[in-house]
Amino acid sequence: MTRLLMALLLAGQALMVQPVQADPQIVSKRIEMRQAMDDLAIAAANHGMQLVKVQPIDQALVKRGFDNPHVRLIFINSEVAVRWAEAADPRLLNLLPMRFVLLQQGDLITVMVDDLAAWKSYYRDSPGLTVLNAWEIELREVLADFLAQCTRG
Amino acid sequence: MPNWIKFFFALWLLLPGVSVAQGVEPPLLTVAAPGKTIDEAYESLLRAIGQHNYTFVRDQAIDSRLVPQQWETKNLRIVYFCNFNKMDRALSTDIRAAQFLPCRITLIETAGGVEMVAINPAWTSIVLGNPLLHPQCLELKQDYLAIMEEAAL
Repeated sequence: MTRLLMALLLAGQALMVQPVQADPQIVSKRIEMRQAMDDLAIAAANHGMQLVKVQPIDQALVKRGFDNPHVRLIFINSEVAVRWAEAADPRLLNLLPMRFVLLQQGDLITVMVDDLAAWKSYYRDSPGLTVLNAWEIELREVLADFLAQCTRG
Repeated sequence: MPNWIKFFFALWLLLPGVSVAQGVEPPLLTVAAPGKTIDEAYESLLRAIGQHNYTFVRDQAIDSRLVPQQWETKNLRIVYFCNFNKMDRALSTDIRAAQFLPCRITLIETAGGVEMVAINPAWTSIVLGNPLLHPQCLELKQDYLAIMEEAAL
């Protein structure tokens, strides 16, 4: 009975601390990390964006004696995105370059992108909202393109 | 009633209050450095990063690798830095911490000086919806503010 009570309390609490916004966009496919980075770069290029930096935080942590988190970051950007942000609302520049998190679990690579929907209320009275909406669609399309390359491969 | 039930009940009662308090976190942390040039603010920021036990990772222009280097935007610079112990702890708690680590501060030169802006990790942890990650993000937020305030002096 007491265990049931505790389970109910924790379940109730878990419901109450639900995120105020949705999860970030996430996709997964079975592929090597190297190939995933290449596919993502191609998917970004197909949407007028460019890979500007790879940040191997897995290697950085291992080099310093920590466990391997099997995570890498890829940053993509475009000059159009920068100029749009500058013109619409310079605060948007804090979201550029866009960050893709690549998580390796065995032969499965999961890619996560920032949840731009979470920013919408912040920009609701700004021309930046239009830019944010456009970026959200672009990011979804890049992820879809990334997955489509998986099915072709 | 056993003590552990009282403990969980108290926790259950307290956490919604924490959740409400989280809702007041702003998405961006901003500190002004009036009268400084971007180069002066950059140098101060690097010193402050080191003094708070963080390691400088890299810096870049907002349009880095998108335009020839000599055309890069000069009045905005992005600085990445990290405390690898904290990164390891955060990634062990929730791998999605890679969405806001390594740390980033954006320096923006304005007519009156320089603004330093960072995405508030405490706001991000609310978006991610993981109460276990939130205390670490609050600590990170304090580090951000301390670093930026010191750099602004």
